[in-house]
Amino acid sequence: MIQYAIRRLLLAVPTLLGVSMLVFGILRMLPGDPATALAGVHATQEVVERIRAEHGLDKPIHLQYLGFMKDLFRGNLGKSIRTALPVTTEVVSRLIPTLELTAVSMVLAVLLGVIVGVISAAKPYTVFDYGSMLGALVGLSAPVFWLGLMLMLLFSLQLGWLPAAGRGDFRHLILPSVTLAASSVALIARFTRSTMLEVLRSEYIATARAKGLRESRVILRHALSNAMIPILTIIGLRFGALLSGAVLTENVFAWPGVGRLVVDSISARDYPVVQGAVLMIAVSFVFINLVVDLLYGVVNPRIRYD
Amino acid sequence: MRKLGILLAVAVGLMGLAQTPKLGGELVIAFGTDPESLDPNKITSAPAGMVLTHVAETLLTMDENLEIRPLLAQSWKLAEDGRSLTLYLRKGVKFHDGTPFNAQAVKDNLERFRKATYAFLLFPRVQTIDIVDEYTVVLNLDMPFAPIVSHLTHNFVALVSPKQIAEVGDKEIMDPVGTGPFKFDKWVRGEYVRIVKNPDYWGDKPYLDAVKFLVVPSDATRLVLLETGQVHAIMRVPPLEAPRLRGVKGVEVVKLPSVRTIYIAFHYQRAPFTDVRVRQAFNYAVDKEAIVQTILGGVGGVSDAPIMPLIFGYAKQNPYPYDPEMAKKLLADAGYAKGLKIKFYHPTGRYMMDAAIAQAVQAYLRDVGVEVELITMEWAAYLAFLRKPLEESGFDMFMLGWGCVTLDADYGLFPLFHTSEWAPKGSNRSFYSHPTVDALLEQARVTVNYEARKALYADLIAFLWQDAGWLFLHYEEQINAQRTTAKGLIHHPREYILAHKAWLDR
Repeated sequence: MIQYAIRRLLLAVPTLLGVSMLVFGILRMLPGDPATALAGVHATQEVVERIRAEHGLDKPIHLQYLGFMKDLFRGNLGKSIRTALPVTTEVVSRLIPTLELTAVSMVLAVLLGVIVGVISAAKPYTVFDYGSMLGALVGLSAPVFWLGLMLMLLFSLQLGWLPAAGRGDFRHLILPSVTLAASSVALIARFTRSTMLEVLRSEYIATARAKGLRESRVILRHALSNAMIPILTIIGLRFGALLSGAVLTENVFAWPGVGRLVVDSISARDYPVVQGAVLMIAVSFVFINLVVDLLYGVVNPRIRYD
Repeated sequence: MRKLGILLAVAVGLMGLAQTPKLGGELVIAFGTDPESLDPNKITSAPAGMVLTHVAETLLTMDENLEIRPLLAQSWKLAEDGRSLTLYLRKGVKFHDGTPFNAQAVKDNLERFRKATYAFLLFPRVQTIDIVDEYTVVLNLDMPFAPIVSHLTHNFVALVSPKQIAEVGDKEIMDPVGTGPFKFDKWVRGEYVRIVKNPDYWGDKPYLDAVKFLVVPSDATRLVLLETGQVHAIMRVPPLEAPRLRGVKGVEVVKLPSVRTIYIAFHYQRAPFTDVRVRQAFNYAVDKEAIVQTILGGVGGVSDAPIMPLIFGYAKQNPYPYDPEMAKKLLADAGYAKGLKIKFYHPTGRYMMDAAIAQAVQAYLRDVGVEVELITMEWAAYLAFLRKPLEESGFDMFMLGWGCVTLDADYGLFPLFHTSEWAPKGSNRSFYSHPTVDALLEQARVTVNYEARKALYADLIAFLWQDAGWLFLHYEEQINAQRTTAKGLIHHPREYILAHKAWLDR
């Protein structure tokens, strides 16, 4: 298993290299550059050129790329053009709030999604089943900014229970993580339901029932364990989606996350920050996928990694 | 109009003075974007300037009535020939780190500005800085430059401790050490900047213990935060939300002028806009009043000069009336009776309702036989597109805004109309060029006498108006809102909310 993990991590290197190259290239294909974006409407050519020279943007592009790669192998992602902070500092300080938000929403999504999905599958075609699946449809379809605002209006403005926005204690986390979790809850619930329904039709479930096991044990011990594999896959994928898809939630709730940083940095053509942030998000994604793959073996001991 | 602006700003200030201020508390102000920097040498945006002005002070200041006032310089004298400015400094002022404020401190700061990448506001002109004595400095200019006084009031030209300057060297200042009523406390990027009371402030000490500037990008969220009382003041209320917000208890809506003029520039060097009749026709064709009233919800005013009324040098003109028949006639006279086709570039989401306004202009022009192709771009791409030299320029018309942040006509007109400022060098992106305009702009710049300068700008503006170098649209206003418990806040036309003398009625 450890060997497998190491092999996977090594395989990640070319992936990340490709990501870095893509981001580097795409950014420079965008019209406009950091100097014009940063200097703004009032700037003179002199200012624009000074900014270009200061950040080496006047050099040929292949030299810029070589410089970037050289720094990268030394673990140096460069400095933000907009704020002059080291990219690593900036991205890490913004990645933490995003991970916090993502982790809480993920826990929420998995707990709620699996519970609802299992109950729906155990009692299919009942009021609960129809109700929860309708709810899931709504959760999946509601745009994040709308849902966020509605929750904010209800729980902060009308009821005054929770702070409307900003980062702070645990109470600040509730609304944004519920907003972010909504679509994942829906997806996981639907997926759990259909996988469970399938598993519940298999012969070993009939056997389990036939030997007189309690229904709750049949469902949780026999059916759910086997349904967990595809559910885990979905969870892994959702984690990535949440990580990068948090930007809207971050905007609505003034959450100082990495999604907002990336969007702001693209607007400012802050190349080093966008490159650094995308790379770090890619690393997190690779890591999460690896963890999910390793979890398969925990959930289902028949899976071996050699 | 100037009076109105003053009244608005003062009214909000006065409401605080009617009661005895209470000490203590933390005031929270929400704005849309995180400052890019708090180093006076690097900042370029209003949010950054707004935070910095509480911490680091300037030599002179422009108060909420838009009058130039002493701050760290007690008085100043512009030489008769306009080639030097003498500043008499305030005594007994200390920076937050205890370093005394004196002539050397001013020199250290101004020398640092000269090396700055962004300090284009001020320092092409200053050649040398002489220390006369401990509290007197003289700035020597390479040529007479009357607007220098108003340039010195700009919050980007804020002074920090010489000790800090020595310490940071070539690096950027992250925690400015100024002389202001508040001291820098903490900056969590993307989240907030917090400043705390400076108990040793040389002037009237602040009432508040701290001020927090909260970064809240979504307009809707800022509104909710204000309504729930989580923040005390917000900026940039969407115009269409203002009427509803006025009905909310405990909330006060503040409308105030801004210094930004929105204009559509014609490509002055290319047909059809080389013909003054076409440029005038376009001005007649568009109903500016309707745009301001319906699209902007009255949050703005129809331009009656290329700069807005509060700026020094403003001279009122008569806006081109909405007269499609006149427009058609002028177009026919110019040989475009059968209509014409043009490309119109505009930003989206940069200025208030910019895309909607562009569409309205397109519709008005269609009525007089002009077929307009609308093209929009993302902001950074747009800026790059408009910074191309004449040969590569690809537009017929474009929309842009210009904030005359120094509040002096020189900065509102020279970069936009002088031939030497043609893109890519400067901000004359429409390649406007006229010898009369060039001459007047140059003369106004070197004329020290107040009334004489004013007269020059009046001539200049009248000429520009007749020549219709732009399709004159409107100037923006701003809407802020605050809790009624926040007293003494000053809403400043430079797009600042100032908490220097604010207090909380808890």
